[in-house]
Amino acid sequence: MKSKLWKIIRMEFRLTVANKAFIVLTILGPFLIAAVTVLPSVFSMKGGIGGSAELKVAVVNAGPEYIERLRMPLAQNGIRVFAAQGNTESLDAEVLAGSFDSYLVLPDDLLSATRVQYVSKNVADFRLMGIMQGVIGQSIIAARLLQAGLPAETIASLTQPPLIDIRQLAKSGEKQNRDFLTILMTGLSLSMLLYMTTLLYGQAIGRSVLTEKTSKTVEIMLSSVRPLDLMFGKILGKAAGSLLQYGLWVSLTAVFVKVFGPRLGVNIDFGGSLSTLGFLVLFFLLAFFLYCSLFAALGAASQDEQHLGQLTWPLILFLVLPIVMISPIIMSPHAPLIVGMSLFPLTAPVVMFLRIVVGGVPTWQILACIALVLATIAAVIALSAKIFRVGLLMTGKRFTLGEVLRWLRY
Amino acid sequence: MIELRDVRKSFGELKAVDGVSFRTGEGEVFGLLGPNGAGKSTTIKMIMNILAPDSGSILFNGTPITEGDKDRIGYLPEERGLYRKVRLGEMLLYLASLKNADPAVSARRLDEWLERFDLAQWKSRRPEELSKGMALKAQFIAAVLHDPEFIFLDEPFSGLDPVSTDVLREAVLELAGKGKTILFSTHNMEVAEKICSRILIIDHGREVISGALADIKARYGKNTIAVEFDGELDLPKLSRLVSRASRFPRYVEMELAGGANAQEVLAALVGQVAVRRFEVLAPSLHGIFVQIVGKAERGSLGERSSQGARS
Repeated sequence: MKSKLWKIIRMEFRLTVANKAFIVLTILGPFLIAAVTVLPSVFSMKGGIGGSAELKVAVVNAGPEYIERLRMPLAQNGIRVFAAQGNTESLDAEVLAGSFDSYLVLPDDLLSATRVQYVSKNVADFRLMGIMQGVIGQSIIAARLLQAGLPAETIASLTQPPLIDIRQLAKSGEKQNRDFLTILMTGLSLSMLLYMTTLLYGQAIGRSVLTEKTSKTVEIMLSSVRPLDLMFGKILGKAAGSLLQYGLWVSLTAVFVKVFGPRLGVNIDFGGSLSTLGFLVLFFLLAFFLYCSLFAALGAASQDEQHLGQLTWPLILFLVLPIVMISPIIMSPHAPLIVGMSLFPLTAPVVMFLRIVVGGVPTWQILACIALVLATIAAVIALSAKIFRVGLLMTGKRFTLGEVLRWLRY
Repeated sequence: MIELRDVRKSFGELKAVDGVSFRTGEGEVFGLLGPNGAGKSTTIKMIMNILAPDSGSILFNGTPITEGDKDRIGYLPEERGLYRKVRLGEMLLYLASLKNADPAVSARRLDEWLERFDLAQWKSRRPEELSKGMALKAQFIAAVLHDPEFIFLDEPFSGLDPVSTDVLREAVLELAGKGKTILFSTHNMEVAEKICSRILIIDHGREVISGALADIKARYGKNTIAVEFDGELDLPKLSRLVSRASRFPRYVEMELAGGANAQEVLAALVGQVAVRRFEVLAPSLHGIFVQIVGKAERGSLGERSSQGARS
């Protein structure tokens, strides 16, 4: 005789999977994901949304040969420079009118200049600023060196700064090519993945538990099974359905990108190593089940959908917190606050994952984090079974946190 | 056999069940009666182990209930519902499987029950389409599909039309005939009177009266005698036997005095008048309840609001 828990899991799985919405979403999902992930890269390949690829920069007070020297290196980065004349008022007017994007004012005595002025409507593109600064700075230094009597052909090699190859040293002695941006993107992807999954499925689990009360099936269920079995069964069954959908999406998207990616000129590459991928899956699952059980507990405690919505806000806050704090986490992963966050169950999975990606986390902390999250999941499910059992008898009125705490003593 | 010993349960200040004891035997239809809010549902929930009693004990065949015992119980809760998205047949089989019933046997029994309750054409439809009466019958099937020894029915007849009430009542009596122990709660004294062999009336969480229905009627009957007669009745001659009388020209209703017996009255009457009709009036359960609980409760059965607590 199969256990009752297994029967509940099977029923909940079936309820999750065998309905039209699930099937439609499963089929459409990859196209949506592809649209969201591929289209932006297609746009940026074509030179940005709206197609205004080239940045037009007027250079004031420069000789034609100097402009010529800037033209090539800037053109490679999508910046077109041309000579212009005029006072700042007329130039400002032209920038505002859109004749060109920005202008650069060179001083009369370029060689001794310590400052050049750059005026643009948009100064937020730090990448562009870096390029301008590099190219112009280099050209001025080159001009100075030429004046100092160095031969023109050696100047280019003399002024070329070396690229810094950033490599992360892992404990194993292995060195990896990684930089802030890669870590940031890897961390953000987990946080976003978790955020979206939780919104999508966590709420569904909360609602499923709530439905047990609103559809008044709860008493008949509890006359057959233990509340704990019912809770575990609902969470595991729903989670299995959700993970199946997720698995299908990921594999279908991978196939889609593999097949159509090259044609669209897009290459999406997971930058991390195999161990990073392993940790990603591990912490994703930990966080997923943690939040599923929390949503289940809230579902058990709430009275209707609206009430459930109100109760889930604090949870969503904890989901967003690591995303908001992603920079401090990556820059100082061993600060006491961050270590604390990586052990505090609600933020632990994402923060610990980020710390692992950055590197240098003591093994005991990783194990402690996993143990704490697992213990929390078990405790939350047990708690929600309790809330469920007591809360269902109080149908018809809402209750305060204090009352919920009192129920735990029943 | 189910036995409750001095079971108590409070919700905060409210004493929902305040020392209830009873015992049911095999093949017995036991009625748990009382007005709304009396503590009937709370009592049943405690027997079902959905609620834990504050004190007292609940025994199944002499031992406290275990999870395994739940498989031998069928339960029709007062709060009724089925998963709205699951087809009726599948839902009922699922509930039976949660009682560890044999799937093949359940499937066969399901068809029989659906046929009997005229629900066969609803088997592959969703419960959300069922009318209230049909949903109740479906829920009753859920309670008995796994062939339990004990069947608890919480207000099984509320909201049923007369035809469905008869169908359900027959089913209950048939199950009792097969040796099932049936415990049901109701505030409807007329229904209880028709099918219960034993009853317990509770009010405000306390036992008001309990025992075999026939005994209770005998014990709490007003022992009123109605007589139709021809001739001249000399009432003072009967004063030793009768405590109170309402006299009409050819009809009298008399209340027996303590220790008196209807047969003595009849014997005394026979010499005086020609008795055309002599009847010992059996009190209704409703009458008994009103008599016991007092005039304050009169006419309030089934109508009194639940005073914040749920029964």
